[in-house]
Amino acid sequence: MYTSVVRLQNVFGFFTTVAFVVAAFIAASDFVAERAPIVRTLKTTSVQVVRGRPHYYSSKKEEYAVINFSLDADLSSLFTWNTKQVFVYVTAEWPAADHSTTNATNEAVIWDSIITSPSADHLANHWSRRHEEAAQERGREDGKLVLKNQRHKYKITHPSGKLATTENVTLRLHYNVQPWVGLLTWNQDVDYGYWKALKNGVSKRFKLPAIKEKKPASAGSR
Amino acid sequence: MLSSLANPRQAAVQLMNFGLILSTAFMMWKGLSVITDSPSPIVVVLSGSMEPAFQRGDLLFLWNRNVVTETSVGEVVVYSVKGKDIPIVHRIVRKFGKGPEAKLLTKGDNNVSDDTELYASGQDYLVRKDIIGSVFAYIPFVGYVTILLSEHPWLKTVMLGLMGLVVVLQRE
Repeated sequence: MYTSVVRLQNVFGFFTTVAFVVAAFIAASDFVAERAPIVRTLKTTSVQVVRGRPHYYSSKKEEYAVINFSLDADLSSLFTWNTKQVFVYVTAEWPAADHSTTNATNEAVIWDSIITSPSADHLANHWSRRHEEAAQERGREDGKLVLKNQRHKYKITHPSGKLATTENVTLRLHYNVQPWVGLLTWNQDVDYGYWKALKNGVSKRFKLPAIKEKKPASAGSR
Repeated sequence: MLSSLANPRQAAVQLMNFGLILSTAFMMWKGLSVITDSPSPIVVVLSGSMEPAFQRGDLLFLWNRNVVTETSVGEVVVYSVKGKDIPIVHRIVRKFGKGPEAKLLTKGDNNVSDDTELYASGQDYLVRKDIIGSVFAYIPFVGYVTILLSEHPWLKTVMLGLMGLVVVLQRE
């Protein structure tokens, strides 16, 4: 019995099936696209610890690490037809101060950037401060990052409020590939098939210096 | 319609079919919940705070088990704050410590500042149990229907009516 309702149902059902199969193929195509991210340099250029307040109305004093760095990386192989954007971020990592919890770690993002793929450029919001950033960062459209003495984006602190003279701090580069459809993926430490591990993405160990007496108007991560 | 009223057996079968469809959908949702260990394994993006990665109406699939590694910095998580109903999709940007008591701070990629102001008063960090899942897969736009439904409640009535009508009208 072919009423118009049944016909409509069939058309809609067929449409969704085809749409999902095509989407599944596009998502699966990620696994056969080669990924070979290259990091040439990641190093700190200036490291300071300053005292500040979490926000303007707070009376609490905390220590903030101000870390600037240089980065030379080529992430252009992450951009395929299914890449919507790559979120690149640099974290600072350090082990816990008290040795009772030796395996406890601390990790905080000091800088990040959204690199939209050319197919998603119309979605990038150019009204924000990313506009200036885009002008500063040479060649960011194709995933090649050449940052010289890049200013930190976030001053970092610790719940204890103490950061000065922390040892064994490292910077680490990470990325998160956002697809148009399919699985979200991050940088990996080992090779998976066509996807190579991100090597050399860690800086040398360094020590945060003692406090530099200086009062920024508004420290904190805003 | 009238014929189904005249034939009670067929009406009962149609009622059963309708109930079967509803319970299948419900069981699939709950089954997914058990597999992913998340109370809400599929969520629809409601705000633009993660743009351009996620836009309103995009569908996110969540995973809430820590099989290999802990939930860590860089993951996009959905969390809910005590006293607020609407779950938020943001990225973890800081993590202090390890285990279930590790302090986590989140931020939307598209927001200028971190989420401290979104948390409950007096709460500076999230802990693992505030998180209802990490985003692992993405389908664009498909969830926009639910946004339409919640913004225009009369659509719900229309849709339910249409579904009922189709079930009643079609035979087998």
